[in-house]
Amino acid sequence: MPPALLTTSLVNTIQIGSLYALMALGITLTFSVMKLPNFAHADYVSAGAYAALIVSLSGVLNPVVIMTAAFIVGALAALISHLFVFKPLEGRDVSLYTLILSSFAVGLIIRYILFLMADYFNLFDLRIAIPLRILFREGSLILSNLFAWVVPTSILLVIALTLLLNRTPLGREMRALANNSTLARVIGIPVERVKNHAWLLVGGLAGVAGALWGMQTAVNPLMGWAAVLSVFAAAILGGLSSFTGTILGAYVVAFSEHTVMLFLNFNFGVDLAYKPAIPFIIIIAVLLTRPQGFTQFFQRGGDLQR
Amino acid sequence: MFKKLVILTLALAMLVMLGASIQAQDDMETYVLGVALPFTGSFGTFGQDFERGIDLAVAQMNAELESAGSSIRFETASADTEQTPEGAARALQTIVQTTGAQVVVGPLTTAEVLGAKQFADENGVVIVAMASSGPAASIPGDNIFRVIYPPDTFSSKAFATIALERGHQNMVLLHVDDAFGNGMKEQFITNYQANGGGEVAAFAYAPQSTELSTEAAAVSAALAGFGDTAGFFCVCFPGAAEAFVQVAQIDPVLTSVQWLGNEAMTSDEMLEDPGHAQTLANADFVTVSQSAEVTPLTPIFNADFVAMFDKDPGIFTNYAFDAANIAMLTMLAAGNDGAAVKSMLPFISNHYIGTAVQAFLDENGDQAIASYGIRRVAEDGSGFEVIGTYDGNSDTITYK
Repeated sequence: MPPALLTTSLVNTIQIGSLYALMALGITLTFSVMKLPNFAHADYVSAGAYAALIVSLSGVLNPVVIMTAAFIVGALAALISHLFVFKPLEGRDVSLYTLILSSFAVGLIIRYILFLMADYFNLFDLRIAIPLRILFREGSLILSNLFAWVVPTSILLVIALTLLLNRTPLGREMRALANNSTLARVIGIPVERVKNHAWLLVGGLAGVAGALWGMQTAVNPLMGWAAVLSVFAAAILGGLSSFTGTILGAYVVAFSEHTVMLFLNFNFGVDLAYKPAIPFIIIIAVLLTRPQGFTQFFQRGGDLQR
Repeated sequence: MFKKLVILTLALAMLVMLGASIQAQDDMETYVLGVALPFTGSFGTFGQDFERGIDLAVAQMNAELESAGSSIRFETASADTEQTPEGAARALQTIVQTTGAQVVVGPLTTAEVLGAKQFADENGVVIVAMASSGPAASIPGDNIFRVIYPPDTFSSKAFATIALERGHQNMVLLHVDDAFGNGMKEQFITNYQANGGGEVAAFAYAPQSTELSTEAAAVSAALAGFGDTAGFFCVCFPGAAEAFVQVAQIDPVLTSVQWLGNEAMTSDEMLEDPGHAQTLANADFVTVSQSAEVTPLTPIFNADFVAMFDKDPGIFTNYAFDAANIAMLTMLAAGNDGAAVKSMLPFISNHYIGTAVQAFLDENGDQAIASYGIRRVAEDGSGFEVIGTYDGNSDTITYK
């Protein structure tokens, strides 16, 4: 594998891995606090991307404003789906399977609302209108302004989330809820309020990830769904309970999809069309050999433990 | 008493009218026109727009039949192919088993058409596809008719010829991994190498991919390996085409070679992004796509479409309109019978001039008139300009 190709693939790994991390953290948070593997998460990503697209098409090209709009729309989508679907279902004490199926349904509803809107306003396969340009170039190492937005934003949001969980009363309440929801209720934690905040956080992170993903690719109603397997693979690698493990899982998935895939293609002629199979392989391998993922390596206070 | 008589008389009159109406309805014959298109997936927007084109054709046909006093009416039965071969097979099965339809307009892509083929052939259902062009579906005697868009055996020759004319001694090709992309790849390599072209490095991407940075890196490395005389050929679907250009625009190798590409690269969305437009302009991007001529029916179709749906028709929507008209005209001539429609459809097609091109079918039931335009991006990236034509039937390129 030529050094130039290796360098490019590693840059891609960091950039895409950071995006996967942003999306996967929300899945881990939802699973830990709400005990729900939420497949509608992918569609919060798409909703955020469309919010970002519409803001950028209106002429606002400030990435902070664009990401704020995406955060708000993603957060609202998540909160609404909680208030109108997941919370009433939890009240009826339905099984986990019912909740998973309902998350598919919520995702479908959001997706087809986006389809209707995109069809009516002709908003298919457009890109969030922030011009791409090279910021740094040294030999084969090329870093774009998108890299400069994606990686620091992801790192900052991850740090902010970790600080929120460790250093704030809300974070402590979320961790308490993640560890034992019954006990949390007994000791007087306002469970519903904490859940509402958690959903806002989950959707907001997904929305920002959607905005950044929409700068990387083209925006369409399926963009979140197209990434969902890679993102779930990252969350499963993280054991669905560890933030640190989830972030590491995101970079492992991105490394496999980019660097390992190119290595296999260059040295063994493995077709790049097999790239979508990599998350499947990771999920199956982890579930068969190490269902707890990286959890045992990162059992520290900063993570949400089941 | 008088009041009761009036009520009784009115009730009797209503019964008589209802009976007459039922009798009239019994005399009417309804032909079901199946519509199998991708209403979801990344081609959902095409599917929905194509369905509108078909609905317009059906509405106009029914209006004409009514004013002519005909007892035949058409109605549509739609199902989503989900943009997959399996989905297309399911869609066809659903339409046929629930409505008894004998003729289905669609599906969209060659992969979907091939997915639906077995069920169509085994059950005598006729498929009238409007945009499929992959050579893999060029099969004589089957139930598939591709009445508007010619197979890629023609355009692949044009692409190979242009690559050689540009002096590309080697080529790097990125293609979607499905019947269309694989067919174009094979045809292109055969034509390119048969006429003196060198090595072709081909990379496939999965049809559902939306992020193509790995593929761009691989293409860039292959181009760098070939040196200055290599060219790049992109055979991509919409969406993936934009995603590829997005990552390619900062790649020093990809932005220093000439590009060829299929018409998915020429969407309006592509040029709306100034970076994409400039990338294609710098790459001296050239595409070969079917010449859409303006017939007397074209402006009428456009106006009627806007009047009915309050929006402009999308790209190729008129192809769906034409395919539906060919299907309905054949059913009017042959009846609602798959075998009769299969036998009659080439005759009707060959006498049909619609909104874009004259239909004329070859022995495979495919469009035989291969008339293409060669277009490139204007230097300022503002649009595509026609720089020549390609006559696939005589294999002749003519530049302006």
